Amino acid sequence: MLEKYFTQLEASLKAKLEAKATARRKFVYEIARIGTRIFDDNWSIGWTTVFVPYEILTSMGVSGMFVEFFGAMLAGTGMSSKYLELSESKGFSTDSCSYHRTIIGAALDGLLPEPDVLIGASIPCNGGVKALKRIGEIFNKEVFILNIPIDITPKSVDYLTEQFEQMIEYIENETGRKLDYNKLKNSIRYNNEAREYLVELNKLCMNVPSPANSNDLKNFIMIVLLLGTKESVEVAKLYRDEFKSRIEHDLKGATEEKYRLMWIQNRIQFKTDILSILEEKYGAKIVIDELNHIWWDSMDESDPLRSLAKRIITHPLVGPAERRLEVITQLARDYKIDGAINPAHWGCRQSAGARVLFKDALQKIGIPLIHLDVDCVDERNYAQGQIMTRLEAFLEMLSTY
Amino acid sequence: MCSYTPLELIYAGGFLPYRIIGHSEPPQNADSYIHSNFCQFVKSTIDVAINGGYNFLEGVVFVNSCDAMRRLHDVWKRYVPTKFMHILDIPMGTLSLGKHYLKEEFNKLRIALENYASITINDQDIVNAIELLNESRLLYNQLNSLRTENPPKITATELMNLTSNFFKTDPKNWNEKTKGLLDKINTYPNVQTRSNNPRVLLSGSPLHEINFISFIEDIGLNVVYEDLCTGSKFFDLIINDSKDILGSLSEAYLNRTPCARMMKLKERADQIYKNAKKFKVDGIIHHSLKFCDTYLYDVPALKALLTEKGLNVLFIESDGGLGNINQIRTRIEAFSEIIKN
Repeated sequence: MLEKYFTQLEASLKAKLEAKATARRKFVYEIARIGTRIFDDNWSIGWTTVFVPYEILTSMGVSGMFVEFFGAMLAGTGMSSKYLELSESKGFSTDSCSYHRTIIGAALDGLLPEPDVLIGASIPCNGGVKALKRIGEIFNKEVFILNIPIDITPKSVDYLTEQFEQMIEYIENETGRKLDYNKLKNSIRYNNEAREYLVELNKLCMNVPSPANSNDLKNFIMIVLLLGTKESVEVAKLYRDEFKSRIEHDLKGATEEKYRLMWIQNRIQFKTDILSILEEKYGAKIVIDELNHIWWDSMDESDPLRSLAKRIITHPLVGPAERRLEVITQLARDYKIDGAINPAHWGCRQSAGARVLFKDALQKIGIPLIHLDVDCVDERNYAQGQIMTRLEAFLEMLSTY
Repeated sequence: MCSYTPLELIYAGGFLPYRIIGHSEPPQNADSYIHSNFCQFVKSTIDVAINGGYNFLEGVVFVNSCDAMRRLHDVWKRYVPTKFMHILDIPMGTLSLGKHYLKEEFNKLRIALENYASITINDQDIVNAIELLNESRLLYNQLNSLRTENPPKITATELMNLTSNFFKTDPKNWNEKTKGLLDKINTYPNVQTRSNNPRVLLSGSPLHEINFISFIEDIGLNVVYEDLCTGSKFFDLIINDSKDILGSLSEAYLNRTPCARMMKLKERADQIYKNAKKFKVDGIIHHSLKFCDTYLYDVPALKALLTEKGLNVLFIESDGGLGNINQIRTRIEAFSEIIKN
């Protein structure tokens, strides 16, 4: 079923892309291709958590896919409720993260193809590693755990680099595939190229008004799956070109902008038109998603493992919230936002736990924030009317702020 | 706060380790500082801290033990003026590299304490602290072994009270008192009569409420082992002396009986089984605090592993207090009937 879904999705997106090549179309097409790749015998399959070094996996012929991606995809296609119910019937708590419960339910139901490797990183949350462990048990496979140190020091970079070396051994043992070091070096080159475009496109979004519409960069965090490939460079360049062109052409293609908003953490994954309503009716646009921030420096091609280790360790979601708060504050300033929306995804201890701190940090620089308290994957208790009422009140408040 | 905190280093630095374990009263102000979907431990702890209830402490050592604890650290740091704060990172999983990393983390704590108090913590100070705390663990385990007998010679409530005192007492005094208690029990073994009730092992999230244990005992079950970070498992640790004292310390802590956070489910299940046999239990009660991802994500798989091993398992979820306890009472009573037969 899943193979058919991805094959059809890839074909329809390809047709759309050929009809009119837009950055968004290119991006979702490339992501769909990664979905199809799961069923390609030329690739091994790796289920992972979100912040693992995909460049290494790709260089070894392993198609990595983070489990939250699947949770989001199933929510987007309206299928998450079935898998949530299944995992709950097996004893998984309704208070835990629904991204994880969905993917566990899908694995229990036989929807997921058997992975060759499972790799979990201790950031952004312990729940992701736990979910991966449960999936590993379903397939009777061990999970390789990457411990991401919370301090940024040369020793912690060494520690993670050594873990990458052991991870490579683990992948070799499980799949028989060897790391092609030249491929890995090339992937760092591609990463650096893509990074330049990503930084540039983000800078373009700092323009007032922004060339981006609220959904142009929705779930753009999935770019991590492509990083290190020429496709990631193509996607990033297309976005850069498109945004640049919009600015050069009096923002043709961009919606009217009255309020500039920042979205914290992930978007709502099931189908909802709240952001379109905000954009079209109120001119309120998401100009920056916190998770789209490019936090890492250009990497050293001659030392790929250490470079990748440094990239992960410096992620704003690692360790205490301070780094994340600094980033959020900086983004608020750079993108000249009027307000911020934090969905405070139910079950997300790592993010919802910091919601008071987000509000506090933004208040210090005069930026209001609204917590929505929604479950971004489980639509069973979603009440759009209530959410819209709160958002409308928030915008009204912004108009007098 | 966490049982992976090396008490030896704190004691060696001239500080008295005081364990924060939370409470079971409804939090007054916690929801203003942390999301309501956090466990009672985190909510009650921040509640007390915000209201100045921990102002008597010189400082707090946090552990990066779960997402909730990391956020507790952040909120505490922002809203509770505290002289000394440190967060320890503990590796999870089975990679051998973790041993060196943890040693480095322990060394960072040692240096942080030294800098804060303008002192030097030398190896001999650590060795002395190890000897003292090893003795505490030995004494506890001697008392705990009295529960292998049927009926047990000491109750879980008595032991949990003893454990609770350990968390806030100078180990030297605690050791003396505990020796006295051991002597008394050994001298007058039959002075107290214990009931011949079904025997259960309690595992799961850390428990902050001793009355919760008493509640289970009052239903008519003998709790004979607490596989809890705030119970018997806490004392299941012996540190060996060696020239590389921080190496010994970190290795012992890393290899201690794992909690759910360490991602070693099979080892956890094996350890529960081993203690179930040693303490001749009739059933396992696995309790998880509401919103405790660390334990809740494990429940279906752990239950399956223990059931495969032939153990009777009851899973309960609560805030660890005695409010709204009646539904749990009914379930424990039914479980008690099952294991009696």
